[in-house]
Amino acid sequence: MEEARGFYTDTTVCIGCKACEVACKQWNQLPSKNGGAHEMSGDSYDNTVALSGTDWRHVKFIEQFSPDRSQQRWLMMSDVCKHCVQAACLEACPTGAIIRTEFDSVVIQADVCNGCRYCISACPFDVIGINEVTNTAMKCTLCYDRMQANMVPACAQACPTASIQYGTVSELRQRADTRVATLQAQGTQAYIYGKEDVLGGLNSFYLLVDRPTVYGLPERPELPSRKVASNWLIGWGSAIVGGLVGALSLRKSRMDGRTTEARDAEEVRR
Amino acid sequence: MIDRVNHVDWGALVYLEMFVAGIAAGAYAIAAILELFGRGRSPIARAAHLLTFPLMAIAGLLLIVDLSRPERFWHMIVQSKTLFPMLKPWSPMSLGSWLVLLFPAFAFVSFVDALVDRGMFRLGGWRHGQTLHGSGVGPVWAVLGGLTALGVGIYSGVLLSVSQFPGWADAPLIPGLFVATALATGMGALLLFTALGRRTEPVDLQDLARASTMVIVWQMLLLLLFVLTMGRTGFEVFLTGSTLLAIIGAVLLGGIVPLILLRFGAARLRPGTAALAAVMVLIGGFLVRYAVVMGPQLHG
Repeated sequence: MEEARGFYTDTTVCIGCKACEVACKQWNQLPSKNGGAHEMSGDSYDNTVALSGTDWRHVKFIEQFSPDRSQQRWLMMSDVCKHCVQAACLEACPTGAIIRTEFDSVVIQADVCNGCRYCISACPFDVIGINEVTNTAMKCTLCYDRMQANMVPACAQACPTASIQYGTVSELRQRADTRVATLQAQGTQAYIYGKEDVLGGLNSFYLLVDRPTVYGLPERPELPSRKVASNWLIGWGSAIVGGLVGALSLRKSRMDGRTTEARDAEEVRR
Repeated sequence: MIDRVNHVDWGALVYLEMFVAGIAAGAYAIAAILELFGRGRSPIARAAHLLTFPLMAIAGLLLIVDLSRPERFWHMIVQSKTLFPMLKPWSPMSLGSWLVLLFPAFAFVSFVDALVDRGMFRLGGWRHGQTLHGSGVGPVWAVLGGLTALGVGIYSGVLLSVSQFPGWADAPLIPGLFVATALATGMGALLLFTALGRRTEPVDLQDLARASTMVIVWQMLLLLLFVLTMGRTGFEVFLTGSTLLAIIGAVLLGGIVPLILLRFGAARLRPGTAALAAVMVLIGGFLVRYAVVMGPQLHG
């Protein structure tokens, strides 16, 4: 097992150039949407809209303006699969298509996935989508093929501001902590999203300067398995009550029926 | 929880599958209960045995067709690269796949047993009057099959309520509601089958009508609790547009109307009245499935 590798994304130096999106699409040979037809979302400079089966990197543009527009701030963040240490998709996948690699990244095997789409419902970050070319679920692989050849993932390689940094998770965390300390000393409310408190740690984590929900990230993501046992119990509880209610009615009916039959038989004898 | 852009696209095939599998699961569970009362060869139990396997075959087919890669459906059961069994008990989809495989296996034997009992054919000592159901082994088979049936009725609800979608994740009673709907629609299907049957015994209709009434009340209670516990997000997701209409329809058509029909016709229930009530229960069950499955998807 290699040391865990991942991404550290410093959102404060992202300039929204989308070089990461282009590099990702190019290296992974991901198709364009709608046959390449030009479509504007109307949402700032964001026309990718979301991560999907064909968009494995997505630069978010968050425009923050005061009501009188005297104060403004633009937040930009290059979003990607978080390669969670406790991965909900991997836990949920019923075919074994989703695996954890020797680099601790989470990868969907396109030749195994049968497109049941359960991983889409399980991911708390809305990362996974169906790729309409392969008809399978797809997401960022952390450039598994490049990692095996000791190469840097395409997005990190292309990023001109080092907003996306790639390396061993332990080294990246040290780098991120230093950067947070520097920003806090300058008066910026910076923090790391994706430490051990979030699904055991995100191998792809972020330096943020506003609440997670502002960036479209969940405050407290949870694994589906946390609720599985209680939900089965609720189901079995209802089944037992419903079954008993039905059973007692059937039994009572039969008893009543027998009583009537016995009475009828007695009347016939008389 | 965040708003979702990527959709699971579980549409008509999925809620139809849940509806059909629910009827099969409910009917088989009722037959299992009858078996435990020593009525494994009664007309009602035999109706369930005849209905369940064909319904599960249809449900399985619907599930396969709904996959984006249907030819790989077997990956749910067997690991495609090692050919070892593929089972994750903690994943409702994985466990559900096994239940959807195992339950029809039990149902198939019961189906053949019902045909043998009708004298349609015989297999050695397996012949009319000497069938599995109604014999000493019958209750064991019924209990095992009944448990897998109820598992099928529950798993789809667990699958939805542990997801990350606003609405499903906010409604903890979906598994309870789904299995109650399965029992109600299973009972409804048996009521319809019995009411339309040529050899309908009044006592069978009365039996089913009384049991149906109680199970419908349980389903309506679960539907009420489902609404009361779904929280604000659930209200926004489920109590709007076509899903709101479906829930109202489920209460009226699947609850109030059949309860009135069965209650007022209880003294001497006519087959036509029973059949009408049964159809209403089935429509109500279908509307429940539609509302729960489509609510969060239409909302997004």
